[in-house]
Amino acid sequence: MSARLVIETAELTKVFGTQKALDGVSLAVGPGAIGLLGPNGAGKTTFMKCLLQLQPVTSGSAKLLGREVGTEGREIRKRVGYTPEQDCHIPGMAGCEYVTYCAQLCGLPFQVARQRAHEMLDFVGMGQERYRKIDTYSTGMRQRLKLAQAIVHDPEIVFLDEPTNGLDPKGQAQILELVQSLWRVYGITVVLSSHLLLDVQQICEHIIIIARGRVLVHDSLANLKARRRGSAEVVVPGRQEELQSACARAGWPSEVLPNGRVKVEHRSDSLNPLLTLLHQIKLPPLEIIPSPNALEETFVQALEISHAAA
Amino acid sequence: MPLHDISYKHWQGTHLGVWDRRAAIAKNGLGACLQNRWMWNLVVLCWGVGLVAAALLFLVGQLLVPDSMVVGWVSKFNPTVQTFTALLTGWLANHPEISVGATQNVLFYYLCIWLQRVGIFALGVAIPGLITRDLACNAIVIYSSKAVSRGDYLLGKFATAFGFLTLVWLGPVCAAWFLGNLLSPDWSFFWHARGALGNILIYGVTSMAILSTLALGVSAIGLKEKSTTAVWFMWWILGGVIGPIALHTKPWLRHLSFNFDLDQLALATFRVSDNLKTAEDALPILTTILENNGRSRFVASLDTPNLAGTWLALLAMLGLAAWIIRKRVKPE
Repeated sequence: MSARLVIETAELTKVFGTQKALDGVSLAVGPGAIGLLGPNGAGKTTFMKCLLQLQPVTSGSAKLLGREVGTEGREIRKRVGYTPEQDCHIPGMAGCEYVTYCAQLCGLPFQVARQRAHEMLDFVGMGQERYRKIDTYSTGMRQRLKLAQAIVHDPEIVFLDEPTNGLDPKGQAQILELVQSLWRVYGITVVLSSHLLLDVQQICEHIIIIARGRVLVHDSLANLKARRRGSAEVVVPGRQEELQSACARAGWPSEVLPNGRVKVEHRSDSLNPLLTLLHQIKLPPLEIIPSPNALEETFVQALEISHAAA
Repeated sequence: MPLHDISYKHWQGTHLGVWDRRAAIAKNGLGACLQNRWMWNLVVLCWGVGLVAAALLFLVGQLLVPDSMVVGWVSKFNPTVQTFTALLTGWLANHPEISVGATQNVLFYYLCIWLQRVGIFALGVAIPGLITRDLACNAIVIYSSKAVSRGDYLLGKFATAFGFLTLVWLGPVCAAWFLGNLLSPDWSFFWHARGALGNILIYGVTSMAILSTLALGVSAIGLKEKSTTAVWFMWWILGGVIGPIALHTKPWLRHLSFNFDLDQLALATFRVSDNLKTAEDALPILTTILENNGRSRFVASLDTPNLAGTWLALLAMLGLAAWIIRKRVKPE
């Protein structure tokens, strides 16, 4: 069972001064496209850095690709790719030189490294600009270059920290498409860290939501989307009391919200019982807003936790 | 539409070992140091000096052979010179430990000292390319996310500085030794000059290792290229200025200059004063010549020093450099 897991952590804790960036994170994650979701400052980047040994952990243990992070860092990183959030590159190099060098740092022979560098730059859609110095690159080019250097050595798992930051919508779509293909077409496990729910929903099959250094949710995207609390907000043209009485008869708690909507907890996965009730009392609704799914709800909860702490 | 396949391809090859990765870091660093055309000119200058030293050794070698081209050429001007040179060559041939061993030791001492200064200058210019630029561009994160540890990175950078110094300093000196003895009239020159080569290697490797570590420490101090270069040159120049002043007030202050400490190390390694003494014992006229030219001051400047203070200062500097590197060179 353990061999099939790519990430295993047990009570992983990281403390900066008096602040806990990671608070006893225990996870067991299999291969796939994994979304690490949470507001800024939630601990996503710290979690990835601890796994890559870029930050020493305060306590707890972690395994990546079945190897102990604390003792086998170099061997692990041979099989792992990483695109950091911040802008970082090795100065004074052209794009293709940089990617070649990164491949060499992972142990590829020079000739192979050079060939793969060009292949990866083709893959991420970089043209002749690969021969220009990196210092002259736009944000979009730098993001593509970061992706190329992360996959040039053919890793088994690649960590992408906010890969669409600073990109225009078209650039975002292109990068996300590339990232999506890494798992779906080429079988490379992707860990995508983002504070953008849409990005993660588009690509990932497994979701980990983090807030204040704690894991709030870890489940598949399908499960999270299917899980609803069974409530809805009904917009009716007056007659709210009548609706509330009908709900009480059905044994459903309800309340009138300040905006005039009636919130009904119908306790069902489907809206059909609520629609039947409305039909029975001959009250045509103007609008029915189903409750958010567990993914959206937990993400909002994570945001609230984060804001409350701030 | 691209004409070639742009899809992702998996790689099935074997990874190279960690030493190859360290070598890649060193090679890349060396390439960065030599990107400047002026650096190449400096390297050519240093090798030119090495060639001049080899030519000088060739001339010295020719003096030891009575029928050599040089002696024949000198005799053309004055026949009495021929008699004198015959005497001299005879004497020199009978004292190879002086004519070859001591001569080459003294020559290479001065060559080492001179090229060491060029090396310090070149290293100062190359300092931003060691660690400063990597810190400024967050490159440490990239290195740390690859299959190299912080130790591998530092070893690679150390090899960069060491290799660069070899190119401008130890390389030309060793080449001069080899070429000079290759052009000598007798293969036994290699044997008699072995002491000089040993001193070159001991002093060269030790001082280059010290300078490389100090340069890494200075390079890790800041993120601005000009700042780290300025710190290096200020340290070097101020050390040179303080030395003569401190000599009469607080002599220990001179040890704050790494250049002074390395010079002391050179004196202790080459033991030039011993060579001078041997030569004076064998050739008393040399003492007379030197007496007329401020012998006591000259001999005092070449005295083998007490190295306790020197090593203490160098170890403190190395410790400081290591502390700076440890504090500064990390992913965040």
